[in-house]
Amino acid sequence: MKKVLMGNHAASYAAMRCKVKVVAAYPITPQTQIVEELSEMCADGRLDAKFLKVESEHSALASIIAASSAGVRTFTATSANGLALMHELLHWAAGARLPIVMVNVNRAMAPGWSIWSDQTDSLSQRDTGWIQIYAEDNQEVFDSVVQAFKLAEQIRLPVMVCYDAFFLSHTYEPVDIPDVDLVDKYLPSYDPEIYLNPSDPRSFNALVMPDLYMEMRYKMQEAMDKSKDVAREVGREYGEVFGRSYDLVEAVDCDDAETVLITTSTTSSPGRVIVKKLREQGRKVGLLKLRYFRPFPNEDICRVLAGKKRAVVIDRNISFGKGGIWADEIRGALTLIEDRPDVYCYITGLGGRDITPQVIEEIIADAESKEKPESLFYWKGLKP
Amino acid sequence: MAEHKPIVFSGAGEMPELVVSVSTMLWNKTGSWRYLKPAYLDSVPPCNEACPAGNDVEGFIRLIDEGKIAEAWRLLKQENPLPAVTGRVCFHPCEQACNRCHLDKPTAIQALERFAADHAPAEEVKALRPKSGKTVAVIGAGPAGLAAAYHLTRMGHQVEIFDALPKAGGLLRVGIPAYRLPDDVLDKEIAAIESMGVKIHLGAKVGQDVPFAKMLDFDAVFVATGVHANRALDIPGEDAQGVVPGLALLTKVALGQPVEVGMRVAVIGGGNSAVDAARTAMRLGAEVTIYYRRTQVEMPAFEEEVEDAETEGVKMEMLVAPVRILTEEGKVSGIELQKMELGEPDESGRRRPVPVAGSEFIVPCDMVLPAIGEVGDLSFLPEDVKREWGKIKIDDFGLTNHPGVFAGGDIASAQQNVARAIGDGKRGAIAIDRYLHGETVEEVGGRVIIGQRGSVSVAQYLKEKGAHAKNIAAEKVIAFEDLNMWHFDPIEREPMPRLGLEQRRATFAEINLGLNAELAHAAAERCFHCGVCTMCDNCFMFCPDVAVSHRTDGGYGYDIDFDYCKGCGICVKECPRSAMKMEEE
Repeated sequence: MKKVLMGNHAASYAAMRCKVKVVAAYPITPQTQIVEELSEMCADGRLDAKFLKVESEHSALASIIAASSAGVRTFTATSANGLALMHELLHWAAGARLPIVMVNVNRAMAPGWSIWSDQTDSLSQRDTGWIQIYAEDNQEVFDSVVQAFKLAEQIRLPVMVCYDAFFLSHTYEPVDIPDVDLVDKYLPSYDPEIYLNPSDPRSFNALVMPDLYMEMRYKMQEAMDKSKDVAREVGREYGEVFGRSYDLVEAVDCDDAETVLITTSTTSSPGRVIVKKLREQGRKVGLLKLRYFRPFPNEDICRVLAGKKRAVVIDRNISFGKGGIWADEIRGALTLIEDRPDVYCYITGLGGRDITPQVIEEIIADAESKEKPESLFYWKGLKP
Repeated sequence: MAEHKPIVFSGAGEMPELVVSVSTMLWNKTGSWRYLKPAYLDSVPPCNEACPAGNDVEGFIRLIDEGKIAEAWRLLKQENPLPAVTGRVCFHPCEQACNRCHLDKPTAIQALERFAADHAPAEEVKALRPKSGKTVAVIGAGPAGLAAAYHLTRMGHQVEIFDALPKAGGLLRVGIPAYRLPDDVLDKEIAAIESMGVKIHLGAKVGQDVPFAKMLDFDAVFVATGVHANRALDIPGEDAQGVVPGLALLTKVALGQPVEVGMRVAVIGGGNSAVDAARTAMRLGAEVTIYYRRTQVEMPAFEEEVEDAETEGVKMEMLVAPVRILTEEGKVSGIELQKMELGEPDESGRRRPVPVAGSEFIVPCDMVLPAIGEVGDLSFLPEDVKREWGKIKIDDFGLTNHPGVFAGGDIASAQQNVARAIGDGKRGAIAIDRYLHGETVEEVGGRVIIGQRGSVSVAQYLKEKGAHAKNIAAEKVIAFEDLNMWHFDPIEREPMPRLGLEQRRATFAEINLGLNAELAHAAAERCFHCGVCTMCDNCFMFCPDVAVSHRTDGGYGYDIDFDYCKGCGICVKECPRSAMKMEEE
């Protein structure tokens, strides 16, 4: 059925369709409606799940880790400072190899206190071992959460689905919610072999000596590597069952492009508009939308960008002391090939400032006006 | 239940992905880490300690909560033969002691006792011991005498009660008006005691209709004659026509004798008798004013009774005392009163009223009801029985200095209330039972005393089954600080349904209508069950070692697996009602 939903409720419906068994979350703007809707679903029986009210995000993830360890499908959601509060447990969830799915609504880190869109929160959790997916619209929010469960449960790593504060979380768009039978067909029930079981008590996550720790971590990396193919498969199967297929990246008009605009999250939407406009003007511009941040789709990026003149990356984030995070990761991936483009990084839109089609058009024009990038990143739209 | 499968692998490459022990951890008996261990133990709830009649308050409330009304009544009857009475007229010290007072309002214990009594099954209470062949004379068919007779009969003795009045019940009958305690309710309670084999001789005043010597023909005597003689005002005009002691008016109304009440009535006094006399006179058509020498706060009458009196239209004037009664042709025509001030406290701890010079004033009235207290008549007792402060001198269990003669109730106790009298009757019954077996009370010792305030349990004395085996001799009485308030929410205490005000003023119909089943259940749910395990499952759920389990035979209580219990104490902390404690290993 089609419903007009805000992005947050699209996430709630996805969790409901996936029949999660335990939800524990702490409210934070702009995530609150996800959990409010889930609590109503639990209360009126649409969702048969235990709903735990906890006193902080750290406790939320701790509860979810415990519940997932007990062998059931779990879900939580947070944003910005809430995600930061969970930080040590993000490492834990991944190290414990738990298939937890969490939505993170991308919001600027405080101080200054801001509730608006900014990707620094989730990107700065880069190294925790979580898979990260970024959604462009509310339909993709729903679809990504469902795919996240399938992916997580196959490779046993937690998955974070990220999307922009307010641009998606609070904006209403039509979303197709598939029937529960269809989702059941796509996503089998979760039945782990080893779980917290008082009848078969074991010790979990205990001491590992230096002689074996590296091998445990190797296995995690192995899983991350494997997850690229699994993610592609999960996305392809999604298309078969629901009619919308997904990949690690989406390339639009890149084949003969000289300049490739690289975007993520909602920025891809005005990106598409501008690329179309410039193409109509006869300019050779393409769009590369990135969905996955971890595992970083090195091969897909190299494949699309090989031989291109320039890559223009829009980063709604910053790693202080270095620059735009997506751009840096892209540069690292491109060292795998010889014939690589120059990478221009534009940091803009921090703290929710709009990235309009005009801003994007100016960014492309600015990049195209240069021979070479003179610095690792440029600021766009900074007030004097 | 999952089958235990050890994880086997050769080489790091084949390790499981997650960090998990390869096999069961049951071998690791974490109980060895312990130096403190948890234990379940029933302690005394404060209501049980506070009840002068020795009711298992927490126990009967729990049975009502479980829907077992008949069993609740049986539990009450193990201790108190008159639950329909105390459920109406007791001053409920249990409710004042109730720990719930510190959260919101106390549990409605009295209303619940009445509910159980009013819904009692039609069954007889049987004697618990075979007939002993011993006989006991009880003087006085008031609450103390009735309670003694009831328990002595259960202990197998043959009891005869001698009472001066034409109807049994003592002050229950003649002192408490029907709108608080209906006649038929009292009749039913007394009939239940008689049907056990207790013979009640009415109109048989010992020392007048029956010589005291006849009492000594019995194997033991329990004196419970109460206090019925009016304390005099000691002012001029007290002998005029129209001056009727408050208790005398109440007695006439109770016995159905003809009564004339003036148009303007002055009641002197601040106790229950004064208030009851005032409300009775009001119902008989008079305009009534109570005159009391201290302030309303110091009135000994129950607060609820005073409030009801005011609502019904009884006027009250505080800080006044009578100086003389004015008469016209020998009949009361008015009363002269003097204003009082509160001075230093007297021996009761209340501030002494001090007359204000020159403040006398006269109020017209045609009837005066003095009700400033009652005294006992000890003239029938042999001289050698020791008296003290106008009462019979007894020890903690009702023994007098005369072997074989015991006493209790208002005639022997400084505390004058129904529940205390019932308690005295029980203590007397236990003492008499010991005496008749040639044994002493000391041997019974602390086994029967509940907490620290002296109430006794006959069930514990007779080692009856059915009562929770409470550790009643324990020093520990649960206080509010012992409870875990995280597990309790405030809940409104539903008010008692009552007769409308107009009906109350016009008739002697019972004012409180009693709880129905729904209200009773809601009232019972408010009880914290201090110190008694209610199988709430908190310890079971919170134990991090999964070491607490339900009994496999489905019985009451939990098992703790001490192989794995680490003694962390979480179960004890999370027990809402302090029914567990940590002990040294």
